[in-house]
Amino acid sequence: MKAQLFLASSLAVGGLAFAQNTNTPKTAWGDPDLQGVYTTDDLNGVPLARPAQYGTRRYLTEQEFAERAKNVNSEKSTIDTGIRPTTGFWALVKDAGVDGAAAPAQWIEYAKHASRLTSLVVDPPDGRIPALTPEGEKRRAAQPNYYNMRPASWEDLSSYDRCITRGVTGSFFPSIYGNGSEILQMPGMVAIRYEMIHETRLIPLDGRPHASAGLRSYMGDPRGHFEGNTLVVETTNFIGGKVDVGGVPYSEDLKLVERFTRVAPDTIDYQVTITDPKTFTAPWTVAFPIRQEPGYRIFEYACHEGNHAMHNRLSAARAEERHEAAKAAQPDQK
Amino acid sequence: MRATLYSTVFTVLVVVKATLFAAPPAVTKGRTFDGHPDLSGIWQTMSTANWDLQDHQAAPGPFFQLGAVGAIPSGQGVVEGGEIPYKPEAMKQKQENFKNRWKDDPEVKCYMGGIPRSNYMPYPFQILQTPRTILMDYEYASSNRVINMEKKPLEASVDTWMGTANGHWEGDTLVVDNVGFNDESWFDRAGDFHSDQLHVVERFTLADADHMNYEATIEDPQVFTRPWKISLTLYRHVEKNAQLTEFKCVPFAEELLYGDVRKKTK
Repeated sequence: MKAQLFLASSLAVGGLAFAQNTNTPKTAWGDPDLQGVYTTDDLNGVPLARPAQYGTRRYLTEQEFAERAKNVNSEKSTIDTGIRPTTGFWALVKDAGVDGAAAPAQWIEYAKHASRLTSLVVDPPDGRIPALTPEGEKRRAAQPNYYNMRPASWEDLSSYDRCITRGVTGSFFPSIYGNGSEILQMPGMVAIRYEMIHETRLIPLDGRPHASAGLRSYMGDPRGHFEGNTLVVETTNFIGGKVDVGGVPYSEDLKLVERFTRVAPDTIDYQVTITDPKTFTAPWTVAFPIRQEPGYRIFEYACHEGNHAMHNRLSAARAEERHEAAKAAQPDQK
Repeated sequence: MRATLYSTVFTVLVVVKATLFAAPPAVTKGRTFDGHPDLSGIWQTMSTANWDLQDHQAAPGPFFQLGAVGAIPSGQGVVEGGEIPYKPEAMKQKQENFKNRWKDDPEVKCYMGGIPRSNYMPYPFQILQTPRTILMDYEYASSNRVINMEKKPLEASVDTWMGTANGHWEGDTLVVDNVGFNDESWFDRAGDFHSDQLHVVERFTLADADHMNYEATIEDPQVFTRPWKISLTLYRHVEKNAQLTEFKCVPFAEELLYGDVRKKTK
């Protein structure tokens, strides 16, 4: 009964608020209510940096949108019939000479509704990631390569391959799977939980200062506050040089400022500004909506526990070396 | 029927009015807005249950180089009645596990702790409590679980390390029913184990503001002859600046897990 009343009242308040377009729903203690399970699945296929053809346009034209919607639908029906698609990510993998066939079709999440965005980057206005600093260029060139067929050790592979983490942005930006996130709130605290490698960020709202520079982590040290109906989260204290954003390992000076605003009962507008003067010559901003998809459930992604790929890749590389050494030792058989 | 409808509409209007125009509802200290005990905070055991659920005396660690730093502390057991009721074949497996614990314990490999072990590992965990879900976020290996508090239970559609958890309140006790486990986690570093038939019922009860009684009843007909119970105290981290820090242990386990296929340098 109590539960029913609570539900009835929150529904009524939520509906009323959106109908009047004055306010977002509030928690019992008065914070804007952002809670729920969300997914970025609909952004599958939207490039991070904007292809030059779109110029400074943030949205597709009707004709371009119809084309993307067609691709989204064909990908959806391909996957639904249990066949791995040959477009998007899967085309990239094939072009690189790698057979990504290990992943069965049911692993893959796909867009339910085609997005109108031309890119995820919205600032600078051309949607391109700003030029790198010389140090950033050096770090990009030196980073582990996913397509390295002869890794000497796990250290030649990325933090993602090693199931350590994808960092804050990598955990949240749309990917081929694991696109779920969940926001929970209590007085003085917001938690954001990511499906991708089971990350959770606990974000204090009590105005406490950041941890000192000596305490660094892969997911950083977040502090949050509300500006009107928007949750603003500032994250610092990152471990530098290990995890990438926009294809470049960021430095320990990375600062993220994220903004979460509920714009409809099932939608939050997300925005993140990436500042890292040791890596990028200017700050840049990514923005996209996240949506509650009926029936979407976050499952445990036991990435490291099931990382057979790591041992297999390394043992395959060693086997090839042994094979080559054996061949070299018998020159007369050529 | 009509009366019910009228009264429902009336109640909704009153609640809407109250929510929109009144001050936030008063909340009793130590309780959440929906009246339940507030378990939110950072908790950790002081027991040595993660070394061994049963009584154990001090022992040397596996590497003499670490001296006292690497030694195993003694501690009182947390199993009610003292004994874990293994079936005979399962007891043999436990002893085998104990012999091979330095390489077979999932903790050595940085695998998730599972339930109940995650609650008494030597790392803090944080509880964030909402009316519909309760988050338990563990510092060890960034593992976490969300307990479903809705009336409709969450179905365990796949086996996982951390299980599928449905919770409810019995008075001031949070009761969590856990199923859907794989057979890979252990209960401690002494090789106590379970199968994928594991069923764990946990009870969290605040003893006072900063102490919480934790009980777990463990049932697994493939491994044990009867259900058995552990019970221990969780302590709140009360430091003003207390926060979970990060313990991503994968990099510490890679040499152990993949060292055999690393390229040998001459």
